[in-house]
Amino acid sequence: MSEDRIALLEATCNQDKTWEALAPRYGVTNPSPPWKTSLTAMCDCLAASGALPALERRNAEDDLADSLYSHIPSPERELLALVHTMVSRGLVNEADLISRMKAVRARLEEV
Amino acid sequence: MSHTHTHGSPGDTHHKAAPMVEEITDYEVLEIAVRELAIEHGLFTAEDHRKFTEWAESIGPAAGSRLVAKAWTDPAYKALALKDGLKACKEVGVDWAEPTGVGTPSDYMEFHVLEDTPALHHVIVCTLCSCYPRPLLGMSPEWYRTTNYRRRLVRWPRQVLAEFGLILPPEVEVRVEDSNQKCRFMVMPMRPEGTGNWTEEQLAEIVTRDCMIGVALPKPGRTADVHPIQKARRPVKSSHQEAAQ
Amino acid sequence: MKKSKSPEASRAPFKVGDKVRVRDMPYMFYTRSQLYTRGAVGTIAALTYKDLIPEEEAFNFDGHVEQYYIVRFRQKDLWPGYPFDNDTLQTECPHRWLEPATN
Repeated sequence: MSEDRIALLEATCNQDKTWEALAPRYGVTNPSPPWKTSLTAMCDCLAASGALPALERRNAEDDLADSLYSHIPSPERELLALVHTMVSRGLVNEADLISRMKAVRARLEEV
Repeated sequence: MSHTHTHGSPGDTHHKAAPMVEEITDYEVLEIAVRELAIEHGLFTAEDHRKFTEWAESIGPAAGSRLVAKAWTDPAYKALALKDGLKACKEVGVDWAEPTGVGTPSDYMEFHVLEDTPALHHVIVCTLCSCYPRPLLGMSPEWYRTTNYRRRLVRWPRQVLAEFGLILPPEVEVRVEDSNQKCRFMVMPMRPEGTGNWTEEQLAEIVTRDCMIGVALPKPGRTADVHPIQKARRPVKSSHQEAAQ
Repeated sequence: MKKSKSPEASRAPFKVGDKVRVRDMPYMFYTRSQLYTRGAVGTIAALTYKDLIPEEEAFNFDGHVEQYYIVRFRQKDLWPGYPFDNDTLQTECPHRWLEPATN
């Protein structure tokens, strides 16, 4: 179980950009961001395929929620904890994430 | 993307779009990026992810509410619900064996309905990781997943219930059910006074998710679980609001 | 997959109402048995299903199948000074975590 900091995720932590902060500012009353169900499904898929069993993921999430990401609310905290755990276990790597995030953002901003 | 405003004259109906968060946050981008990489690495398939997302969006506590309302009005169904929870679920349209069509998200095999009586009040928790009867109740509430709830409910159940506004007499047995293995649970609360001639639909309306977890009691008129919402710390005003001032 | 009974599990299963104690065994990392129940005495409230125990299951061990039980404890027996006499707690345990308790 690794609690090493992951620079990409530290850089992503921004309380001002969480749904909890943004939704009231825009007058949006949905309790969760649109990607929440996708995140839930991702956790279920990883458990179902055996890549990351639920209990292992939740144990790591509990530790990370108490430490590195304690200042970030749900569901952003769960997202950060999931990615952190996947990186720690070598399921994805940080460099790939950095370049993929650039590509995704470019794709979304082009619309 | 450009569009033209049409300002209608008084009497015209003018459709206003619902407010949306117009920013693309790094969180949104991160979720997409990690999911794409995971699929490319073969950790799961896009198709499975789509099915699980659809399921996560489709479930809610309605089936649980129907189960309780039916049990309140039909003694034979109530007996079934207490004896064979899975079969009782099928009668309200929930099949635990095939909730998504790709198998169960976790490997649960049993489902028990816990009956409250005047002498016994149940409340459910999963201290280890927040297991929850999702096929019947939908997604678990955020507070259910916090270490605050999971650690404290087993040790100080009445304090935690009081924080939800539920205070029970000391002689009532408060029974905490820690669902730490494969059984899943749901509370069947007592039918409240003043509902004697209600239909099943009316009864189901007051059986909210919190009642089926055990942190609230059903009450005539209470059809939603309300928890305090944080007020905005730095609200943004759109330009048309400022222009109006 | 071959499923065999562990030596402990070949003891007769507990019945509803039996008094049992949660054993204090060394545990592997992802044990599902809560620390707060270790050493406590409770009663069998229900028999649930027979299944692999999760520690072995988590490591894909070609393993043992056991009876699972719901065990009921008085909160007074779990926490020192718990102030409400009637309150209880139930949790689920595999057979191997339990031993008969005589009082």
